Amino acid sequence: MKNMVNKFKSIFQGYDDFKFKFTLSNWQTDFYRFFRSMTNYNISKNSLTLEATVYKGKKSYSFEISEPNEKKLKTKLEFVNKFIDNLPEDPDFVDIEKDTTVKELPSINNNILQVPLTKKIEILASIANKVKKYDHKIYGTFITNFVQFYIINSNGVNKYYELSPIMLDVKSMSNKNMASVIESFGGADFSNFNEEGFEKRLLNKVELSQLDIINIDPGKYPVILSPAAIGEFITYLGHTINGRSIDTKESYFIDKVGKKELPDYIDLSDEPLNEGTIPYFYNQEGKTLSNLNIIKKGVFENFMVDNYYANKLKMNENGNMGTNLVLHRGMDELPDMIANIDKGLYISKLHYMNFMNPKETTVTGLTRDGTFYIENGKIKNVVVNLRFTESIVNILKNIIMLENKLTSIPSSTNYGNFFIFSQLMPHVLVKDFSITSSTNTL
Amino acid sequence: MKSMIEKIINKLNGIGTFSDIRITKTDQENIYFERGNLKNVSNSLDEYHIGVRVLIKGTWGFASSTEIKEEKIDQLIEKAVKNAKEGSLFKDDKIDYIPQKPFVGEYIFVPEKDPFKMDLFEKIEYMQKIAKNMVGREKIVHSMLFAHFYKQEKYYANTEGTYSHTILYDVRPSMMVISSDGKGVQTRTYPGHMPGRRGGFESFEKFNFFDNSEKIIKEAVDLLDAPYITEKNADIIIGGSQLALQLHESVGHATESDRIFGMELSYAGKTFVKPEYIGNFKYGSDILTIYSDAGDKRGLGYHPVDDEGIPSHRVNIIKNGILVDQQTSRFTAQKLGLEPSSNMKATNAGDFPLIRMTNLCIEPVKGSLEELIRSTEKGYLIDYTKTWSIDDNRNNFQFTTEIGWKIENGELKSIVKEPTYYGITKDFWNSCDAICGEDEWTMHGTFYCGKGEPGQLMHLSHGVSPARFKNIPILPKE
Repeated sequence: MKNMVNKFKSIFQGYDDFKFKFTLSNWQTDFYRFFRSMTNYNISKNSLTLEATVYKGKKSYSFEISEPNEKKLKTKLEFVNKFIDNLPEDPDFVDIEKDTTVKELPSINNNILQVPLTKKIEILASIANKVKKYDHKIYGTFITNFVQFYIINSNGVNKYYELSPIMLDVKSMSNKNMASVIESFGGADFSNFNEEGFEKRLLNKVELSQLDIINIDPGKYPVILSPAAIGEFITYLGHTINGRSIDTKESYFIDKVGKKELPDYIDLSDEPLNEGTIPYFYNQEGKTLSNLNIIKKGVFENFMVDNYYANKLKMNENGNMGTNLVLHRGMDELPDMIANIDKGLYISKLHYMNFMNPKETTVTGLTRDGTFYIENGKIKNVVVNLRFTESIVNILKNIIMLENKLTSIPSSTNYGNFFIFSQLMPHVLVKDFSITSSTNTL
Repeated sequence: MKSMIEKIINKLNGIGTFSDIRITKTDQENIYFERGNLKNVSNSLDEYHIGVRVLIKGTWGFASSTEIKEEKIDQLIEKAVKNAKEGSLFKDDKIDYIPQKPFVGEYIFVPEKDPFKMDLFEKIEYMQKIAKNMVGREKIVHSMLFAHFYKQEKYYANTEGTYSHTILYDVRPSMMVISSDGKGVQTRTYPGHMPGRRGGFESFEKFNFFDNSEKIIKEAVDLLDAPYITEKNADIIIGGSQLALQLHESVGHATESDRIFGMELSYAGKTFVKPEYIGNFKYGSDILTIYSDAGDKRGLGYHPVDDEGIPSHRVNIIKNGILVDQQTSRFTAQKLGLEPSSNMKATNAGDFPLIRMTNLCIEPVKGSLEELIRSTEKGYLIDYTKTWSIDDNRNNFQFTTEIGWKIENGELKSIVKEPTYYGITKDFWNSCDAICGEDEWTMHGTFYCGKGEPGQLMHLSHGVSPARFKNIPILPKE
């Protein structure tokens, strides 16, 4: 692959008046999907893709070549060379990434080989067997990817990295009443997967799913958001903390840098180098990444700004993408948070959330896979899936307790040559969380 | 290509119960203007995928690649077989396949203006004029104009003797403006959430973007000072663009039968529909008939044969308000005692086929939108999706549209911003008391129906005409 990159680079360099950037990615996945405690399908996919943009002055043209070779690239560049002069200029054009610093990267294992399908099935068959006594079946995915990624440009950027993330999502659902719970593992190192611990955590949740099912009225409730649930709200908030959202005037945080917006104990950062997550060392343009404080002691400190918007908006570039968001831990134990609630909810997972108004950070969405009613400090019932309509900034303002430990939460972009990310999040207790309707179903 | 496929089918014959092979070649071009300037022009041409699916011991195995070389085929088959055999170690409910008659079909769509043969500058020049028209307007802080041109050639063959070859062209044009007065922000898009159409550049031109850019600019600015709806319930007429999405989310996904069996539970979710509902569940009012028709060539969901060899045909899903059928695969149809509905599709040959909507449509009834408004004493006409959300079972939805018009005594009055309505699927469709007729009926389309893991984005269409719904819950906002 390295030889191919060098050949491609020299072909681009053959056009003196072009600037260019390209990425070459070799992407593989072994994607196992299961339902009703059995195989749905296993997919093995691989693709080799060249994505490139050519610049001439303030004019540019982008293209993608699947299974690239020298002949295909030469043909494409000859084609581009013929018409690029006639394209209109982009007055907002900014020079491409200039950060040539290279990180010394840790070596990685190819988890497609480390965790073969037979191993995945062995783990899942064991889990399926354990939930059987509760009349439950398991549903989910067990994914292993291996990606090799080169990022090259005419400003001297020459970066390479490999990723081999693992993601396991197991939902356990009752055959009787469809009450479901979920447990997840994600990371780059399979030796961190503790099978016994995973099963234990899932079975504790399965026990809770045996409680009687109730409905609740719309209204404002104190809720404990699981690490996955608060993580999803924060991921959405991340969309309003980037350069583009400033440019379109849709960010809540415009004119709020340096201002105290949230309680003292809210610290939010993007930590692509955090080893407790799936690390990302470079962004898509090759900028070498560092950890970035977004909110520190309740004060909004930084937007995530890439090369384009840094130049356009006259801001400092950090290149962060929100791939490794960390909401810092607090002082509280989860049992104390539960004990603190007279009448409230525990929310495990969110579903189908969307912005209603990004400027106000208002969203609507639903709960699933384990919503519980808490009464007098104890988990009393399973609750049907509920709809919430809330402002994410209000949720953060209304956090009154933060768990004293962080959980790694994996997520995937799922589409195309998808990436797997992870965040570190604590449980949080939020007051006055707005439930706006019920689905009446699980 | 045909001879290569025949060779592959020969290799697959005798492996397991059933096997199929797909090869796709996809061309795509995007042209994107932001604030009047060409921000991006890009293409991806000749993107090939090959996918082999085998059914062994009642279990699917699948392998795909972007490398189309005869010498790599054995490796691909081997991988698919290994996946099936190893997958069968965790299986107690085997897939049986009722054999189907072989089908041979071909369909080549020829656009009036092939976007991949047209001069690039002709497209850019046409779009630039529209994009520039949206710049320099008071309170308009951002604007964009976008076109996505798509062509896919597909070969499908299976070990039952079915063979199909298609070439299809789709276009997805859209524009948006954002207005701001320093406090609030409003958006208006055109032609809405489902602008995908079958065709070439001529489909883009038919939307008349230039004139409509004037309209959305005015509306986006007016929305900044418009009130919200304050009632808790209202009669609403839903315009075609939003109704297509309502249909998609609360009928389309709800009647994908893989959801009944939990096959999509890990990601997209389940459905409130139970097998025993088929034939008797009162899904909607008597005037409501909803059908799936993969054989309608106007829609993005057209195919001669689906991705497991079922020829396209019309299937009524809801007939006069009663749920009568499902969108099915050969597996789920068999489980439910139904005939397969020709709804198994994959985005490209690199993807595993899933039950997908094709052309899911509401049958038109009668009258024009103007007549429907005239017959409405008090209510709102709402359209152009802003936010959409629906639960795991496709039972509780909430939608916000960009704009609404108050109706008083049969006339459209002032506009309202961000009308938000919600409800329960069955109650909502049973409250439908009027559906406009054939003249108002339009095929809306999307390129972005997400489903499956790894995720697939599907092109599909919904034919609808505006309809009225009585006493719908509204989420009021101060």
